[in-house]
Formats: sequence, structure tokens, C-alpha cells
Amino acid sequence: MSHFVALRLATLLLACDGLAALELAGLVSDAGTVAAALAALATWWNEPLRDRVNAVPGLARGFVLVAALASAVDLGYLAASMLDGLARLLLFLLLYRLAMRNAVRDLRDVAFLAFFMLVAAAPFTFGVGYLFVFLVFLVAGTWMLMLYHIAVESERATARPDAPVAGLGRDLLGLSLGASVATLAITGALFFVIPRIGQAALTLRTHTPRMVTGFSERVELGSFGQIETDGAIAMRVRIPEQAVGEPDRLPGLRWRGVALDTYDGRAWSVARRERSELWRSPTGEFELGRFQAMGPVLIQEVYLEPFGTDILFAAPRLLHLSVRANAIVVDDAGGVSVQNAAARFRYIAQSELESGASWSGEPLDGETRARFLQLPPLSAAVRALAREVTAGTRGAREAAAVLTAHLSGRYRYSLALRRTTTLDPVEEFLFVQRSGNCEYFAAALAVMLRSLDIPARVVNGFQRGEWNPYGRYFIVRLLDAHSWVEAYVDGAWATFDPSPRGSVEPGGPPAAVALYLDALRVRWYRYVVGWSLQDQVLAAVRLHQAALAWRLSAPDLRAWRALPRGLVMLAALVALLAVLLASRRRGAADARAALPTFYARALRTLARRGLRPGDGETAREFAQRVEAAVPPCAEPLARLTTAYEQVRFGIRPLTTEEATMIERSVLELRSRVAPFSGHPRSAAASRPPLQ
Amino acid sequence: MTSGRRVGWWLAWPRRTLWPTRDGWWCLGAALGLGFAAINTGNNLFYLLVSMLLGLIIVSGVLSEQSIRRVRVEPALPAELFAGQAALVAARVVNRKRWRTSYSITVEVLGGGHRAYLAKLEGGGARLVTWQETPRARGRWRVAGFKVATRFPFGLFVKAAQLPPSAEVLVYPAVSPISADRRRELAGTGGAPAPRRGRGHGLHNLREYRFGDDPRLIHWRSSAKSAALMVRELEADAGLDARLVLEGTGRGDPERLERGLAEAASLAVHLLEKGAAVELVGPGVHVPLGSGLAQRTRVLAALALFDPGAPAEPTRVVPPPSDARLRELRVPLG
Repeated sequence: MSHFVALRLATLLLACDGLAALELAGLVSDAGTVAAALAALATWWNEPLRDRVNAVPGLARGFVLVAALASAVDLGYLAASMLDGLARLLLFLLLYRLAMRNAVRDLRDVAFLAFFMLVAAAPFTFGVGYLFVFLVFLVAGTWMLMLYHIAVESERATARPDAPVAGLGRDLLGLSLGASVATLAITGALFFVIPRIGQAALTLRTHTPRMVTGFSERVELGSFGQIETDGAIAMRVRIPEQAVGEPDRLPGLRWRGVALDTYDGRAWSVARRERSELWRSPTGEFELGRFQAMGPVLIQEVYLEPFGTDILFAAPRLLHLSVRANAIVVDDAGGVSVQNAAARFRYIAQSELESGASWSGEPLDGETRARFLQLPPLSAAVRALAREVTAGTRGAREAAAVLTAHLSGRYRYSLALRRTTTLDPVEEFLFVQRSGNCEYFAAALAVMLRSLDIPARVVNGFQRGEWNPYGRYFIVRLLDAHSWVEAYVDGAWATFDPSPRGSVEPGGPPAAVALYLDALRVRWYRYVVGWSLQDQVLAAVRLHQAALAWRLSAPDLRAWRALPRGLVMLAALVALLAVLLASRRRGAADARAALPTFYARALRTLARRGLRPGDGETAREFAQRVEAAVPPCAEPLARLTTAYEQVRFGIRPLTTEEATMIERSVLELRSRVAPFSGHPRSAAASRPPLQ
Repeated sequence: MTSGRRVGWWLAWPRRTLWPTRDGWWCLGAALGLGFAAINTGNNLFYLLVSMLLGLIIVSGVLSEQSIRRVRVEPALPAELFAGQAALVAARVVNRKRWRTSYSITVEVLGGGHRAYLAKLEGGGARLVTWQETPRARGRWRVAGFKVATRFPFGLFVKAAQLPPSAEVLVYPAVSPISADRRRELAGTGGAPAPRRGRGHGLHNLREYRFGDDPRLIHWRSSAKSAALMVRELEADAGLDARLVLEGTGRGDPERLERGLAEAASLAVHLLEKGAAVELVGPGVHVPLGSGLAQRTRVLAALALFDPGAPAEPTRVVPPPSDARLRELRVPLG
């Protein structure tokens, strides 16, 4: 491949990479990306068209003028945001430069435009796809810049635009790969070290998050049915290694969101929610509850996708929250929210899991109790069923458990929701359909509990999701949206999940490759997109601690004095021998590469006689000079010169016979020079003649 | 590190100049702008791109240093240079690194504006670069030095190292064909045969005719005797040996001084080429009578280094030539 073909190829790669970046960011549609990529590829063969356009004076300039006007209109009136318009302008400029390339320098402009495409895409991408775009840009950009540099320098040196370029193809490819790796290493180091002092004060464009039902203050029965078929990822919950050994074996793990207290016969809602703003404590965390030593503590690192809710999900009961916000909003039903629904969000939550042990706490005050016992006019059949099922039970907890078992055992879980009567939805579920989704199960349990004078509330959230062992996190999808019930028993809120779905694993186990890729996505988000000042401080502290630990555990370097002297001397001797051996090998390798050893020896021998190759003197010229000065040396030196030329410039290595002959010639030369020797050795003796 | 070692390291470290190219300024500007955007948006991907630009700059610095490190330029000056006459000057660019190749090096002759571009120079390799040089004045002359520069690898920065001059050469006074008057004057004095083959008048030898010999030189009598064509080989005509006397001090008019020295050099070269012996005498200068290439070098060197401002030594009293063949030629210096 010629230098210019390689340069064009690298430039085209960069252009396609820029396009991919815009596509990833959603700044160009899929169809637009494909069309632009095809147009970019077509520019490889467009020289005849370019020449025709250039042949018409002013045509190219007029084309640019029209495009500039169109861009101005696009930026001013048509584009959804300024960046959308700028992205289209960048795309046009890139294709124009590729198509109308007249000089090598135009290719540099393409590289710059591709870089600006990556810049334009940066604010809108969270995905790991950007990593691949970035890596391709780094490798192709490094290669392209090197090729471009050599082409421009050759052009400058010869003052010809079509100057031939020295064949450095493989050299440059290898060098650019090495430079890419080095740049990547430095980039990584700088990226993690540059202090994150910035705040998001300048928002160029905000993504509109997809809105899903089920997590607002009023939830119609059946609204989950729509999202329980949506496989989009809602969040990922990473469980740190030190928190719990095998989190996927924790029973009844679910992620609590919003609690609903009022049922009007059709929908659950929040009637009187008292919200309070909670400010961050000096330790940087939000304290939400007290540890009661009733169950294990679970630390969760949650990566919440923007799906249209400001609720923070976590395992119940939430104790601490660490989040990048100055304040959060906490309601009186244990719900936590933060004003950041438009972006991906990361937070760390600590929860004390329920263990099922009874704990006698304070009874609810009258007003609160009335709130969680509220019921619409209810059919007597529902109350009768509740009483019938719980007959003989002792206490609220047992009654709730029996009701839960009744529902999960006698009713069928189904997403095929259809109303066939005009009855109350709960009544229809209990006596007619006898099947439904988790919302119906939860609503039925809550209503029956309330009918038994047990305070209860419906909680919407997610069940635990798929466990990814490669990243130690749960992948929670929208189809994992779930409803369950919290009942106030024995002085505390306890979870009861009547839906048989909770014990069913959704689908088969995901493929290992998919899990690997998802783990890569999480790491990208965690360590690149979400890297923060707090992470930097933590990393520095850990490094410091590791250094301290090493210092304490490392052996005292001064202790070597106590070692037996013989051992020390032996070690020193071995080290010396190793150094000598290494230097000898290196010297031999160097001689092979630059000057054959036998010829170097011959030069040293002649240097004793005061004969050294002069500047610009070839080996043959030197041999002739030696012949004139010391005729007896002429014959062996002629043989050595021929052998030197063969080794240095020839392809065939020396045979054994030739090597023997050369050795003999060196000795012969030495013996013939010896009677005249007496000059001191000189460092210049080994200088080779001009090659 | 002790202070001595630190000083040693500082002295050993080669001096470099570093300056961004136009593309380099763009790169720095982009890094600055992106840094500003990163701070204002808190977007980590902006930080990533800034880090990449900074990484490229650092790698560029390392590779450019690698390219020009231990690259030396050894001038190979011609044996003779004459004032005002163009000559081909060479320099050997050597990569003294063992294995590492230097890429994209520009070698520039300081002050002259001559430059050569080497796309690649292997470890241990050397390349000869040449350029034309026209020394303006006689005297000692050295290349002002060399600048080894590179924009490698990305063309973002120009890194350069200046190498001091390491060799000098004498520039002789301008030598030109001697004037017609002088030529007549010298011709008028006649010549003496020299005992070697040439184009004079005396018979040097007889030999057999070879293809290409001038038929007018056929010696018919010998040819008739030997039954083979014989030709005459003639003796060379040696000019009269000369003593060049520089008259005056040359302090008054520099132009006249240079003219006089150029005339003396031209005369000396002319006479020595004719086989004559030449002696040079002047204020503070005396080159004894001699002939051949060595004498030519001695006379020209004396004329090249003639310094009218030097402390005036009393001119050696040279007795008038006793030999009739030694002719005295006077050259006024003003």
C-alpha cells in the first residue's frame, strides 16, 4: 500500500468514526448515518467528479455558500437544539472536505472535523460504544497524523505537491500502534488524576427520558401490565464484594420505590404525603434510618437509567444514602426522590434487610393508622373472604402471612389482563378472574388486610432482576417492575409479597457474552462516565493505605548487613556475571546489526598501526589505502573486506567454511601488522567506513 | 542526587527549543477549550478527550526527542575554498543511537538557509548531505553550526537542537586567470626547459607512434632507420621561477588589499601550475622558494591569513635574486 493510499484510508476511517460518534449520541439518525457513511466511502472514487466541479469557476464556492445558508436556517429555525444543527453542519463539512479534497492538507481538516464530532457526541453518550469510538479514533488518528506529517514534510522538502514519500509504511504503522498504546496509557493516567473540580453548570442539551407508568403518585390498577413486557434496563444494582457473600441467594430481595396509601376502588394513590427536604450530613451521606440489628446490612451501588422517575430505589429498609446531590426529598412512607430524572444516576444505599424476626415497636398514632386503614365502599364478600382465610390465626403477622400464602397458592399469575364484569377490580380478581398481575395480588392483599384492621400499603418497585456474576450486580429491567404490600405488624412495617411471580425466575439464564458486555458497560459508566472527585479522593486514600501497608510488611532493607558475608559476595558475583553476560550479548547483537565482529577486530588491529577509515571512505577505498601503506596486509584485508560487504549488504549468511577462512584471515592480518604495532588503542578504531 | 551530579546531568542534557506549529496551536487551543467545557459541564467524556490531547502532546514530545537525540552532524569540508567561488560542501549526518531509528529530521545549516530532509535514519547509520557554499572573504571559515529539527510524529511541535561548529577550513583569496598584460609580461621572459615530458620545444624522448599521436611529431629520420613510425616526445617548458613581493602594508584601502592578494594568489597558482618555483615575500610574510602542490598550499595559506592589522614585523631583507632565472614580481597592496 502506498503512502498516500494509507493516508486516505486512515482519514476515511476517522471520518467513519466521527459518524459513528454522532450516531451513538443520537445526533444523526440511523438512516442518516448509513447515507453519510456511503457518501464518505463513495468519495474514494470521486476524482473525476471533483475535477469536473473544479473545472467550473465558482461552482464549488457557490455550493458552499448555499450550504452555509442552509446551515444558518437549520441552526436558527429547524434544529431541535443548537448542537443538532452544529452536528449536521459538521457532517456537511466533513463530506465536503472528503469529496473536494485538493491537497494533502485537506485530509488534516477531515481529521479535525472527526475530532469535533467526538466532542459533539460526548455530552449525550453514556454507553460503552463511545469507548470503541474513542479507541478507533486514537489508533486511526495517530496513524493518520504520522502519515500526514511525513507527506507534508516530503512535500515541503521537495517543494512538489506530488513528492514521492520514503517507504515508511510498516515503520509508521508499528510506531503509530506503539504511540497509540502509550497515548492510551497516559490518557488513562491523566483522566483519573485530573481533579474533578467542575460542576454541571452548562447544559447544552437534555435528553427527554422515556416516561413509564407505575411510579407516580397515582397508579391505575393494570398500569404495570404495559411495562412488564418491556425488556429495557431500568437500573443496575452492584453489590460490593465485602457486603454479602452471595447476594443472588438472598431471599425476597427487591428494590423499593414508592408507597401508596389510598385506594379508591380503581387506583392506588398518595392522599396526604408529607415530604421533607433532607440535607447532606457533614460526612457526605444522608441519614434515613437507625440500625436496629434485626437483619443483615446490604450495601448497594445503584446505576439508575433515566426512565422518567425521580424515585431512588433501594432494598428496604433504607438506612444511609450517598448521592451527588445537596438535598433529597423524603416522604413519610419511606420514599426517597431527587431532582435528576433526566440523566443517568449513581448512588450508594445501605439497607437493613428484613429477617422475619418480630420486633415490638411503637404503635401507629390514630391519624396514621386511619390513613393506612382507608378503604372505599367494599363488598362484604371481600371482608368475609379475609375473615374466612385468617380464621384461627393469632396476631396480625400470622394473619398477614396466611393471607399472603392463600393468594399466592390459590391464584394464578397472568399478564393477560381483561375486565369482564363491572365489579370492583379487586372483587373481580378475587372471585371472577382468579388471575392477574402483581398489582392485583398486592391490591387484594392490602384491601383484605385493611378489612381486618391491619394497616397496610401497596409498594411499587422492582424485583431483584438477573444476577451478573462478572460484575457482581443485578440487571433490573422494566419488566421486573413489581408491587407488593407492607403491613404494620408488631410495631413495624413488614413486607408481604402475595404474587407468585416473585418466586419465578424470569426466562432462562442470560448468555455469558451478554453478561460480560453488560459488565463492561457498567464499568465504563462507573469508572469513566461517573468518575468523580469523591472517587479520586477515595483512590488516593486507598493508594496511601496500600503504600503504608506495604511499608509495614516490606522487609527492612538495612537488614542485608546481617546476612552472611559469603552469601552477599556470592549474590554480588552472580549479579556481576549477569551484567557482563547481558552487555556481551547486547554488544554481540549490536555488532551483528551494525558492524560484523570480525571486521571490527580487523579495524582494531589496523588501528594499532595507525590506519583508520577516514570520513566518507568506503571499505574498498580503505583496503586500497592499507595496501599502499602496508602491502603484506593487503591480501587478508581484501578477503575480510569482501566478507564484510557480503555480511553487511548481502542476504546470504556466511557458511562454516567462510567463517573459518575469515577467522584465519583475521589472525593472518594480526600477525602481519604485529611487527609494526606499538600505537595505543583508539576509540575511533572501531569506526566503520562509509556504508 | 548530589549537586555535582545534578550539574553534570544538566550539562549533559542537550539544549532544545520547542515551539508549536500552526496545527500545534490548534491542538493546544482545543485542549484548553475542551478543558473549559469539561469544568463547566462536569462531563467526564470531555475530560477523557482533554486527557487524550494532552497524552498526544506528551507522546509527541517523547518521540520527537527520540528522533533527534544523539544525531550528530559532522561537516566534511573541501580541502580548498576560494573567496567568492561556489563550492560543494558536505556534512555527514550520523545517528549515534544503537538501534533506534530517527524519523523525519531536518538538518539546517545555520546562517546559510540550506536544509536537507531525512525521512529516516537507522540506528548507527549515516547519510551525506551536500550544499553549495560561496565564502565571501578569505581567512578562516567555519560552518556557523547546524540545527537538527523535527516535527515528528504529529507535526504539532518543532523540536530543535543546535549543534556547534566543529571544523574549519581556510578560504584562499580569489584566484582568477591572470590578466593578458601579466601573461605577456611573463611570456616575454621566455622559459627554460624542464627535464620532464611536456609541450615545450626541446626533445625529451623518442618512442613508437601510438594511435592518437600528433602526426606532426613523427620523427621521420628515426622512423626510416627503425622501419617503424617514431614520434618525438617534447620537454616541458618551465616558466622562470619567481619571487612575489607584496608591496605596502594594505592598511589604507581594504578593497585594494584584497585585490592585491587575489592577484598574488592568481600569479602564484599560475606559475606553480607552469612548473615554476615561487617565493612569497611581504610585510610579516615569507614563504621560501618552492614548487609543487605543497608550495601552492603554503603560499595560498599565507595569503589567506595575511593580516594588515597585525604588529608589523620588519620585512626580511631578502637579497636580490642572484640567479637570472629567479624573477621578481611586485604586487602592490596599497
